[in-house]
Amino acid sequence: MKPTIAIREPVVDDLMDQTEKSLTEDQIEKVINEVIDQETGVRLQTYVNTCIHCGLCSEACHWFLSNDRDVSFAPVTKVKDTIWVMLEKKGKVDAAFIKRCSQIAHTECNVCRRCGMYCPFGIDIAYMMLVVRRICAKLEMVPLYLQDTVNSHAATMNQMWVKPDEWIDTLQWQEEEGQGYVPSARLPLEKEGAEIMYSVIGPEPKFLAQLLGNITVIMNVAGCDWTMPATAGWDNSNMAMYSGDFEVMARVERLHHETAQRLKVKKIVMGECGHAFRGGEYDGPTWLGWMSPPIPIVHAVAFYYDLLVSGRIKIAKKVEGPVTAQYPCNIIRNAGLGSKLRYIMNAVCEDFVDLVPNDRHAFCCNAGGDTINCGPPWKKIRVQSARLQSENFKRTGAHTIVTPCHNCHSGVEDIVDGYKLGMHVKFFSELLIEAMEIPEDLQA
Amino acid sequence: METVEFMGKTFSVDEDGFIDEFDNYCPEWEQWVKTVEGIEEINDEHRKLVVVLRDYYEKNGIAPMVRILSKSTGFKLKHIYELFPSGPGKGACKMAGLPKPTGCV
Repeated sequence: MKPTIAIREPVVDDLMDQTEKSLTEDQIEKVINEVIDQETGVRLQTYVNTCIHCGLCSEACHWFLSNDRDVSFAPVTKVKDTIWVMLEKKGKVDAAFIKRCSQIAHTECNVCRRCGMYCPFGIDIAYMMLVVRRICAKLEMVPLYLQDTVNSHAATMNQMWVKPDEWIDTLQWQEEEGQGYVPSARLPLEKEGAEIMYSVIGPEPKFLAQLLGNITVIMNVAGCDWTMPATAGWDNSNMAMYSGDFEVMARVERLHHETAQRLKVKKIVMGECGHAFRGGEYDGPTWLGWMSPPIPIVHAVAFYYDLLVSGRIKIAKKVEGPVTAQYPCNIIRNAGLGSKLRYIMNAVCEDFVDLVPNDRHAFCCNAGGDTINCGPPWKKIRVQSARLQSENFKRTGAHTIVTPCHNCHSGVEDIVDGYKLGMHVKFFSELLIEAMEIPEDLQA
Repeated sequence: METVEFMGKTFSVDEDGFIDEFDNYCPEWEQWVKTVEGIEEINDEHRKLVVVLRDYYEKNGIAPMVRILSKSTGFKLKHIYELFPSGPGKGACKMAGLPKPTGCV
């Protein structure tokens, strides 16, 4: 089988370049066959044997469509040039091949699962890309920036090297910020038996601490019985899930759920992040062999929907002007929260302008699946390959794009910047804080 | 890496526009970042943040939490975002000559 001609500018990635020099062909063969024999089973074989190479998946892929239908970006090509070769050669491939596999699977695919929806046989092509990532990770062939976040997870149980005292200090600081809006507001730490444990991802305490102040206000106005952990287990994100280091992924997910169990809460409500929901709701439990998450997980979009529908949060003044929203793949296509996202957008915005295509058919922000976490060396091609979604945003004429997901948020900022769209990018909670009613008895 | 020529200096930058080496930071670099970050004028408050960031990075090899930035400078979080509209992890770290922080940023 001849490899597809793929024209790419050379990229320097220190970890991948170093790994390429040190890997032996014996190591590679052993790892490929171990993963395929012990971890994939009949699922992979069925997908590989069912695919008739029709290429219909290409029409679903924003990488292919944004790059003038360059076949080297098509999902079927990504499979053909990676896992098919590994199977055909029974793992006898070299380090340069593994490096190209990592480039394809880690940096040129968001595992967004749109292609699987358009495959006539429903083949989960993203699953095959995750198998490739798994093999690469076991061979330490992972983009440097992504591996740094995995190392942070392994050492600290959060993705940004946040230390325990810094975490607690930041929460107490943001409790005080929230009290600027609602003087009686509390951000309760370690409240055993609370109804809700609220968890977030590392960038919130690290750089986006205002989001913790926002949730303090929202929870208190809604009268929620909530808490946050003072210990590790507060970070619901999981870069290891996407690098392919499932051992670290499992440790992170287990601790997240065990922290909620220790606090004896009824449910986990998580902030605006798509991949974190995927890790906590299905990828993590599946790898851990759990039938379902031990504590129910509620994504922020579903939580805000409940607060607005029940009237626990009322809107005082809707946000003016046209506003649109990115549909995060992991909570929309893969978890069905599209109608709830539209409900909360309409509840808070005077003029919500929907994307076309929308809901399960919406395109990925092109940052998801950890492609943005692969860091600056891989940014140019990522933004170039988001051209299609940039045009979709432009057509809405919106002044603001709401992104209920951290990967989407940073990725859409790159799109707005790269294509000079002149739009603001906000989390939903930032709009809600502007629009919500703070009852008189709670006001400052 | 791309190169930037500005005020008689040449800088190597990554695809996010961060400088290649911490030690290559200089006043001209600050001025360059000012232009790309849409900052009107660099004032003493920008410089105070840059000094804290560089000092923390030299000692710890990582960018500080925004809480530490706020404590060390006495600036409210909102004001840090007024000074650097793209945020502490992007604009401020870039001006201070730090590498781009890893993670979902």
